[in-house]
Amino acid sequence: MTDFYQLKVLEVKKETADATSIAFDVPLALYKTFNYKPGQYLTLKFNIGGEEVRRSYSLCSSPALEEPLRIGVKRVKDGLVSNYINDNIKVGDLVDVMLPNGRFFAELKKDNYKTYYLFAAGSGITPILSILKTVLLTEERSFVHMLYGNRSQDSILFNEELEKLQKEYADRFILVHTLSRPKSNWSDLWLSGKKDKIHRKGRVDTLAIEWFINEYPPYAQNTEYYICGPGTMIENTKKALQDIDVPNERIFIESFGGVTSSDVTEGIDNASLVAQLNGETIKTTISNGKTILRTLIDAGKNPPYSCEGGVCSTCMCKLKSGKVHMKNNLGLDKSEVDKGYILSCQSIPLTEKIEVIYE
Amino acid sequence: MHELPVDAYTSQEWFNLEQEHIFSKTWQFAGLVEDVANAGDYISVQAGLNNIFIVKGKDNRLRAFHNMCRHRGTQLLRAVGKGKKAITCPYHDWTYNLEGKLVSIPKKEEEFPDLCNKELHDCGLNLHEASVDIFKGMLFVHPEKDAPNIMEFFGEVEPYLGPHIPEELIEYQEKKDGAFYTKEINANWKIIVENYIDQYHLAHLHEDTLNMYDHAKAEFGWAGPHYYFFEPLVPEYLADVKNASPYPLMDKMPEDKMGAYVPWLFPNIGITESESAWNTFHAIPLAPDRTLVVIRSKTMNVSEWEYTKQYTKSMSSKVWQNIGNKGKYEGDASDPMASGNFMEEDVYACEQQQKSLSSPLFSVGAQAKNGEFAVRKFQSVVKEWVEKYRDND
Ligand SMILES: Cc1cc2nc3c(=O)[nH]c(=O)nc-3n(C[C@H](O)[C@H](O)[C@H](O)COP(=O)(O)OP(=O)(O)OC[C@H]3O[C@@H](n4cnc5c(N)ncnc54)[C@H](O)[C@@H]3O)c2cc1C
Ligand code: FES
Ligand SMILES: [Fe+2]
Repeated sequence: MTDFYQLKVLEVKKETADATSIAFDVPLALYKTFNYKPGQYLTLKFNIGGEEVRRSYSLCSSPALEEPLRIGVKRVKDGLVSNYINDNIKVGDLVDVMLPNGRFFAELKKDNYKTYYLFAAGSGITPILSILKTVLLTEERSFVHMLYGNRSQDSILFNEELEKLQKEYADRFILVHTLSRPKSNWSDLWLSGKKDKIHRKGRVDTLAIEWFINEYPPYAQNTEYYICGPGTMIENTKKALQDIDVPNERIFIESFGGVTSSDVTEGIDNASLVAQLNGETIKTTISNGKTILRTLIDAGKNPPYSCEGGVCSTCMCKLKSGKVHMKNNLGLDKSEVDKGYILSCQSIPLTEKIEVIYE
Repeated sequence: MHELPVDAYTSQEWFNLEQEHIFSKTWQFAGLVEDVANAGDYISVQAGLNNIFIVKGKDNRLRAFHNMCRHRGTQLLRAVGKGKKAITCPYHDWTYNLEGKLVSIPKKEEEFPDLCNKELHDCGLNLHEASVDIFKGMLFVHPEKDAPNIMEFFGEVEPYLGPHIPEELIEYQEKKDGAFYTKEINANWKIIVENYIDQYHLAHLHEDTLNMYDHAKAEFGWAGPHYYFFEPLVPEYLADVKNASPYPLMDKMPEDKMGAYVPWLFPNIGITESESAWNTFHAIPLAPDRTLVVIRSKTMNVSEWEYTKQYTKSMSSKVWQNIGNKGKYEGDASDPMASGNFMEEDVYACEQQQKSLSSPLFSVGAQAKNGEFAVRKFQSVVKEWVEKYRDND
């Protein structure tokens, strides 16, 4: 599952000032292997400054369309890979890519009759766009109600494509933009030029969500709610939905990681690490600030991982002794944590001695 | 020639079979979307053997549950109501939230010490879930939690329905909270359905009451287990329809589609979608020889003044001097056949037919190839549903 395939970059498209989309060419022989569900992501591997790094990027293309695999990458301030991709990737490059993966996806069926509520903010649009297109295309009777938050009109990713979908599927697709800092005259422009365009000022927050669901109640009563966005957007949206009694089993979330800025926990310097990995017992030291995963990679080992963001849980291992702090945990549920499982890509030592086993 | 035995229309045994195998296994009409308008609003309906209530959550999604307390089975909610925050059984005050989860039992520790050591909602005593969905502005319930989706049931007939958007219309009510028409008819429910889908009788029983429609141009057929029907206005009415129509015309109805769409959705809900009104016709079996018919009627959402103007124009239109103005027989208006009212004519025909079923000499002598084809088809669908399950039992 953690094998990499070299895919050729087919197209590089600047989507906004700070985001680029990359399309990959999948050779015919790999078509089936690279099949995916709308909402899943690819993991890319690069070697930047002598260091191997991996990052996950959600597919924004639709498996129901004859279109190449595409990801959208938004620059993160001081971010290593997102800026590398935006600055350096060009058509024809070969990139190491893992097979599509992820538990955030919509299981679609032609005969389904559902209402999908999609909540996206910023670059969180990528998996949502894939779900959106695939629903409209495969489920002829289902409805999509989507609320998409951005800073201003300039930062709306895939705006053109969304507008096209709105026209084509006007009877089943409602899209409302909400902008936290709309350009002053934008709303007027919006209203005069394109009459039935709907927008709102503000973020995707409790008020916006309640307003949206009251304004656009479901017609098909089998509803599902998909959420993807940065920072606290996911948590807030989920909370807002729970507050109006949306059952948890109908809510699906995807987080892109990113450490919460409030986390200032520091690890112990030079703790000793004993790790059992692929039948080998590795003894080494965790130097200043590093995670268990990075320590092992830097020691020339091959621990399993993909997102390095605390999301995918590929890097999961079991803590046999010692204590660690996870900077971010979006991959493991409480019962797994209680059993001693940790995400090694997020774990820094809190005790002098750490012992883990990759099962 | 006749797909069903006479028994099917007269015996308690057949009535029970249908209740169990048809009305408890299909999507059942439960009302109109506006009946459950706001969070906390609810209605309850009898759907075959099941009493089911629908309640709207704060998330604007409808939920359906079997209307039966998990303690001793008492019915929880009566008829209709608003603003529910929790559901409490009148008998012992067991309380459920709007998700159907059990949230409190009076004297739980004393009286039910061994019930279960988990949270109440994990004790397996939550309300039984049912399904609810919306089709063409109508609410439907299904007794199963994971019912086949409603569009799998109605999808095939949908393209044959009228262009009306019932959600945009308003209900015509003579008295508050009362349906437009309610009547207990002394006939088996299938007699009433067969009358509804019988194209052959239109030009005869209703020769002077429904002659504003062009029966010769009727298009009808079968889609899934459902019947569809359309007939245009007669040219004379069409030419002056803007004036002659009794109510303001449907705005969603293009001139070339002007007419009456009269589908029957299996098993027991008809819709009558005309140039100026949109009606549901719900046939509820009460006994082998008794059926309650409830008609709800919706018309354009425009001002009283528009209605008054239209009425005045309609009254003075010449169209009604020649058509739709008298009964089949001459006589006193209290005689249904002289009433000039097509509903009364139909009720009369149905009740007379039901009476004859008890005659030892009763039989159906012949069936019209086209005009009564739907009658035979409907009978075969009923038979199929009953037999499908009877064989498996
Ligand atoms: C399942 C999954 C799907 C993803 N899909 C997409 C996608 O479709 N498009 C996309 O642009 N990104 C996506 N990401 C995020 C992406 O994988 C990287 O985390 C992101 O590009 C930042 O990497 P970097 O190397 O540039 O930043 P780093 O060098 O890793 O981090 C630099 C700084 O930015 C912070 N940071 C890291 N990630 C984020 C973030 N997401 N938001 C804000 N601050 C952050 C870090 O804490 C650090 O302080 C996805 C992540 C996951 C786990
Ligand atoms: S590599 Fe994805 S959670 Fe650690
Ligand atoms: Fe009739």
